[in-house]
Amino acid sequence: MDLTSGIILGFQVALQPVNLLYCFLGVCIGTLIGVLPGIGPVGAMSILLPITFGLSPATAIIMLAGIFYGAMYGGSTTSIMVNIPGEPSSVITCLDGYQMARKGRVGPALGISAIGSFIGGTLSLIGLLFLVFPLAQAALKFGPPEFFAIICGSMVFLIYLSKGSAGKAFVMILVGLLLGTVGIDRITGVSRFDFGIPYLLDGIDFIPLAMGLFGISEVLINLEETAERTIFQSKIGNLLPTLEDWKRSIGPILRGTVIGFFGGILPGAGPITATFLSYTIEKKISKDPERFGQGAIEGVAGPETANNAATGGSFVPVLALGIPPNVIMAFLLGALIIHGVPPGPLLISQHPQIFWGVMASMYVGNCMLLLLNLPLIGFWVKLLKVPYRILMPMILLFCIIGSYSINNSAFDVIAMVLFGIAGYVLRKFDYEAAPLMVAFILGPMLERAFRQSLVLSDGRASIFVERRIAAVILLISALLLAHAGYSSYRRYKSKSQASH
Amino acid sequence: MKRFHPLLIIVWMGLGVFAMVHAYSLGLKGFAGPGPGLMPFLVGLLLLLAGLYLLASSLLKRNERDQTRKDEQSKINPGKTGLAVGSLIAYALFMESLGYLITTTLLLIALFKGMGTKKWRTVVMVSVLTSLITFFAFTYLRLRLPMGILRF
Repeated sequence: MDLTSGIILGFQVALQPVNLLYCFLGVCIGTLIGVLPGIGPVGAMSILLPITFGLSPATAIIMLAGIFYGAMYGGSTTSIMVNIPGEPSSVITCLDGYQMARKGRVGPALGISAIGSFIGGTLSLIGLLFLVFPLAQAALKFGPPEFFAIICGSMVFLIYLSKGSAGKAFVMILVGLLLGTVGIDRITGVSRFDFGIPYLLDGIDFIPLAMGLFGISEVLINLEETAERTIFQSKIGNLLPTLEDWKRSIGPILRGTVIGFFGGILPGAGPITATFLSYTIEKKISKDPERFGQGAIEGVAGPETANNAATGGSFVPVLALGIPPNVIMAFLLGALIIHGVPPGPLLISQHPQIFWGVMASMYVGNCMLLLLNLPLIGFWVKLLKVPYRILMPMILLFCIIGSYSINNSAFDVIAMVLFGIAGYVLRKFDYEAAPLMVAFILGPMLERAFRQSLVLSDGRASIFVERRIAAVILLISALLLAHAGYSSYRRYKSKSQASH
Repeated sequence: MKRFHPLLIIVWMGLGVFAMVHAYSLGLKGFAGPGPGLMPFLVGLLLLLAGLYLLASSLLKRNERDQTRKDEQSKINPGKTGLAVGSLIAYALFMESLGYLITTTLLLIALFKGMGTKKWRTVVMVSVLTSLITFFAFTYLRLRLPMGILRF
């Protein structure tokens, strides 16, 4: 299928009334959970996944993707108005966005973040179309050793780019891989780690795991926050930026698009790192960097564009290779599998309506968000006033319904609560749940590729270095790991020298 | 609390050893015909090694930690957290026998009251209404929620 007929097919799918409706629902829910700090996109997607069971796979993915990029839009509103990021990729927007609001420029701050998000989202979709085809074509020639190397490389990237300790991220990946082995082994039929519990024979379901680690644990953490939210009292006024604002913002928006797009492709990086990188670069190249932190519009335009551009970028490895670069994409991949669509390089040719439909719906969704968000900002801000004591029981209730309805079993609810407690303890000790979740999804693919490679080579592990692509990826991964270890050693050295 | 976690590291190492032992019993069969235990065995081994690395680095950072320990007093709120966890577990245990409507109403009453909503009448009304609305909304969306003792 060529590009033009693909795009036409995409819009035919995306503009079907049912898909328009679910795209609209997705972006509205996304904006809502982006605005509300109590729950992130992964939690919301896991709650709503069971509702999509009755829908076609394309409609389901259109709605779930809408939640993802809708949350990116919504998160910025709270950063600017309340100085509380609705989700992590809006953290950096607080710095200058809130300062702009305090100086009475709340309208242009919200306006430029919505417009920047739209431009970033749209341009990244074009980038996605250009990149995904050659990558999927190349991936068709990949065998199990190459896939093994790519998955290993993704995990190493997750460790290398993790926010906290690389050692802890590594442990989380290993725990995720172990959880992924629970249940009947698909190759030999032997049951592993089931402890005689029939519930575990099918393996751990990823919805209770995701809801527990991201939904319940977040609620438990939020219960400890006692700070009251004070909403900045200011008339929003004109949302359109001035000509001067435009002049200052256009560079950051374009650079933010490039940074966000490529940041989104990299495993582990995702929207969060892209926003920080964009902010740092804008500050570095600025003629008057001292304005940053005081309400510089560039500090809002760049990162807000980058986090939306990253959503397009992060679809590249999922759609071309079937390998998710971050936890949200891991979730979308899981949703595809639940809907009976095998992800991988053949997705584009075997399920063109899903691929093109989702692409076109993302564009339609971005337009909806622009139209929705600018006039509705006042409404979203009002929602912020809903107290957490009302919000929290509702979030828990939706988590319960979501996990119960997967198999109509209370075991899933118990599993979700247990994973929630585990997630809460892990957060308390500074362990990130995201690498665990990505490894849990990638684990079965990694194991299959590993075992198939060994069977192919009659048990010679050297197959991974004899295949050129696999060898190069594994070499890069090894160098990154060595670099992470070396930097951690240097940090320790310099700290111990400073203390003596 | 955040950095000093030998207990958690020991849990990881224990998990690694357990995975290796269990995987070994499943059969490794070597690289030529990899068995179901090979991958979990390797992951367990790496987990054990990663645990050793974390243990060594946390021991090396001991001095640094002693200085910062006072600043890391965690602000755990055992009352609210315990209430949320306890009521969720109780909910999961009773939802199938008592049914969605009864258990959800009770759960919401417990959570709203526990979170500090004062008026009983408001709490009961909101809880009953929320249970009913969500029940009918999700049933309409073709999700099957348990009826429990209200089955007729």
